[in-house]
Amino acid sequence: MGRDGYAGLAILVASLALFWATLGLERHPMVPIGPGFYPRVILGITAAMALGLLVSDVLARRRRVVGAQAAPAGQRPNYGLVVAAFAVFTVYVLALPWLGFRLATLLFLLAMPVLLERPAGVRGWVIVALVAVVATLASHYAFESYLHVLLPRGRWTGF
Amino acid sequence: MFDLLGTALANVSQWKYLLPLILGTAVGAVGGALPGVTITMTVIVALPFTFGLDPLQGLVAMVGIYVGGSAGGLVTATLLGIPGTPSSIATMFDGFPMAKKGEPGRAIWLGIWASCFGGLLGGVFLIAATGPLAAFALRFGPWEYFSLFVLALSMVAGLVESSLLKGLIAGMLGLVVTVLGNDPMMGAPRLTLGVGFIEGGIAFLPVLIGVFAFGQVMGDVEKMRALKKASEALAVKMSLAASQLAVLREILTRPFLLLWSSAIGVWIGVLPAIGGSAANIMAYDQAKKFSKRPEEFGTGVPEGIIASEASNNANVGGSLVTIMAFGIPGDAVTAVMLGALTIHGIQSGPLFISQQPVLAYGIFAAYLLAHPIMVLAMAVFARFALHVVTVPKSLLYPVVLVLCVVGAYALNNTMSNVYVLLVFGVLGYLMVKTGLPLAPFILGVILGDQIEINLIRAIMSDANPMLFFTRPISAALLFASVASVALALWQHRRARLKERAADTADAADF
Repeated sequence: MGRDGYAGLAILVASLALFWATLGLERHPMVPIGPGFYPRVILGITAAMALGLLVSDVLARRRRVVGAQAAPAGQRPNYGLVVAAFAVFTVYVLALPWLGFRLATLLFLLAMPVLLERPAGVRGWVIVALVAVVATLASHYAFESYLHVLLPRGRWTGF
Repeated sequence: MFDLLGTALANVSQWKYLLPLILGTAVGAVGGALPGVTITMTVIVALPFTFGLDPLQGLVAMVGIYVGGSAGGLVTATLLGIPGTPSSIATMFDGFPMAKKGEPGRAIWLGIWASCFGGLLGGVFLIAATGPLAAFALRFGPWEYFSLFVLALSMVAGLVESSLLKGLIAGMLGLVVTVLGNDPMMGAPRLTLGVGFIEGGIAFLPVLIGVFAFGQVMGDVEKMRALKKASEALAVKMSLAASQLAVLREILTRPFLLLWSSAIGVWIGVLPAIGGSAANIMAYDQAKKFSKRPEEFGTGVPEGIIASEASNNANVGGSLVTIMAFGIPGDAVTAVMLGALTIHGIQSGPLFISQQPVLAYGIFAAYLLAHPIMVLAMAVFARFALHVVTVPKSLLYPVVLVLCVVGAYALNNTMSNVYVLLVFGVLGYLMVKTGLPLAPFILGVILGDQIEINLIRAIMSDANPMLFFTRPISAALLFASVASVALALWQHRRARLKERAADTADAADF
């Protein structure tokens, strides 16, 4: 099974699970159709289409002639880096309520550029640090002082 | 209308509005020029900065970004052969060869002026068509609205380049997002998945920011090495001097090309959720078909640049018509603008122009003023463009992500929208990897509640479901919806047959 097949399968399972969850919804006397009517229509159509995607992928794979070439190693997407980048971003999001915007953002802006491309020499590290400090302070100042957006305060840090 | 427009032009010419417009246009030009940063991402990044402004200030800034971004992409497309945005891909076909021939100034200025004229022609359509279309839409009842939204979704799903089925699934997934949370009519709890903050439904802006920003950023993270090589190859110095009179003559002596390309741009803009990326390719293709020397296209002919740039800026006008007359975003940028309106408690749709004339005509005025500002901004910016585009993505993208977080957080000052951003960021990336198009998904998220509300209102008014098919406008819209899906099916089938025929021919040659 290829990507389309897996995508179809995932969507099919999710839509059927949600469809099942709508079965327990009670109708409201004021509205002729209950709160579950529209979701059931949407989820039913989605499930049918996802099944179509799954089946078409399986059939296409059966028909396909063997011999498709894999991409050369240099052109292969670096999925490890993507996963790591998502992980760093997730940690940043989870840390925001505890460390506050300023500290969490500073750490994120130090960690993410280093992850994406290791700085070359002292100059590279200084640039990363400088961008992190300036971007953190500038965004904090711009949003809090000028645009009146109250950014997250840290439960641990108090700021 | 002209009185209101005159007043709006005077209003927007005040520094209070002119400054955000100038800044927006300049930021748009820079964002558009940066390869890997689309206009959508630029407007997403700018969104949180508009929260503290008054609605018109925020909207004129966004209009500026849209106009500036639509033109900004031409700089790198022309000078480096790397389109800054998808809407400048066709500009590269002739702009880059012209620059390589030693005429980079001519190529750039042809693009800038064509963008300006195309955009202004789009503006004429915007101003002339929005009012009548909105008045027409006022005749709509829930049946017609339901059918209109269904048409919008089916058209978008059919117009995407990948498979029709994937387009439809993406649109349906967008609708699924809107059924999570309390039902919009009576507020009955529904599919909250045990997550407290979903009860009120999922706000579409964090969803939009998440899928678009992460879909793009992580897509580039995958190939960081390739991007680095591209940015290292930019150390080029060239003169951008050109005779403005000669360039203007070149454009204005081709009035049919300019008008036709602008008309294509406007038409593509009016169609929901497809934008300049389709307009510039289609206009280029048409220019080539109408040309007496089609074989010269791709070697640096002015017609290619004029067609592409006139269409992608005219497209902005078309997109604004759809959102202002019907409340349906013409593309992702107008979807963000719709979000900005919602944040300020303003409802977009047919009543917008009559209930919010200051805002509506302010948008018209900002759109018109943004074009001369764009010309000036590009005159200044084009000289430095090659330096700007060398900003490493490893430094730029983390800052972009921080601004996305701020944008999501500032919607209601809670972390819940940031979590939504994260979840839909992952989903957006997975959708990109599985070839599920983002445009129908986002349109589904935006229209989902309205589709449900209008469906239930229609049934509450009259339980007869045949009214959807017997009311003339509703029937016509539903017929158009079916026709658009059928047309898309036919087009996809034809493309597949062509591919197979080509494969067979290749095999026979072998």
